[in-house]
Amino acid sequence: MSELTYISDPMKQNTFYILAGIIGLLEVGVFWISVRFLIPYLITIVFIVGVLLLYLAWRKIADRQVDERSVLINQKAGMATFMVFWVIFFATSLGGAVIGLGAPPLPHFPRPPDERPGGINESIKPFGDGPGIPNESIRPPDDGLIRLGHFGYLQLALLFVMFFLYVGFRIYYARKYGEWENDEEQD
Amino acid sequence: MKNRIKVLRAMHDLTQDALAQQLGVTRQTILAIEKGKYDPSLDLAFKIARYFNVSIEEVFAYAETP
Repeated sequence: MSELTYISDPMKQNTFYILAGIIGLLEVGVFWISVRFLIPYLITIVFIVGVLLLYLAWRKIADRQVDERSVLINQKAGMATFMVFWVIFFATSLGGAVIGLGAPPLPHFPRPPDERPGGINESIKPFGDGPGIPNESIRPPDDGLIRLGHFGYLQLALLFVMFFLYVGFRIYYARKYGEWENDEEQD
Repeated sequence: MKNRIKVLRAMHDLTQDALAQQLGVTRQTILAIEKGKYDPSLDLAFKIARYFNVSIEEVFAYAETP
């Protein structure tokens, strides 16, 4: 009888990568469910739980190779990413502030549901041609919330920029500190 | 910073991998130190010197950058 492997047991680095892939796929599925049933908190909570699980699993990696040089590379890449990212974030936030300050000073009163334009209700329909969700179970968000939701696209784009910046800086500093130097012992 | 780790390794017939395992670092770190791409921390520098049973000045020499 084969022995079961638990998340609390020490694991190999490759096992961690497989686990990370599975959690990533589950997150995508939960995101789809969140969009379909308009439950934003579901993906928020599940994402945090997923990251916590990955962190716990990461601590259990038995053959993890971390030494002072790799720590230095991570620190340098993280700091450089932060330095560039805050400029990009500040610039886009200034753009957003211009839109906010340029808006009419009068308060915005959302219209009653029956006077909303059809386009808003269209936006809550599920993907594809499948059966619709009964309108009684879902209250469509008002205009302001939909605009706030669109702001999420910008935030996600910025996070992707941050990720690619980090990868780029990680490669730069890894090269600087001799990651891919020619090695006579490998010949 | 210049160093004589490669010479000391050869004298003790040690591979980079074996030395790295003894010092608790990765092989790439030993390689990077030997190539002068990375200056080790004071802690690691002392560990290297003690492992070869020599003084730290016999392993590392400070070189002024032009």
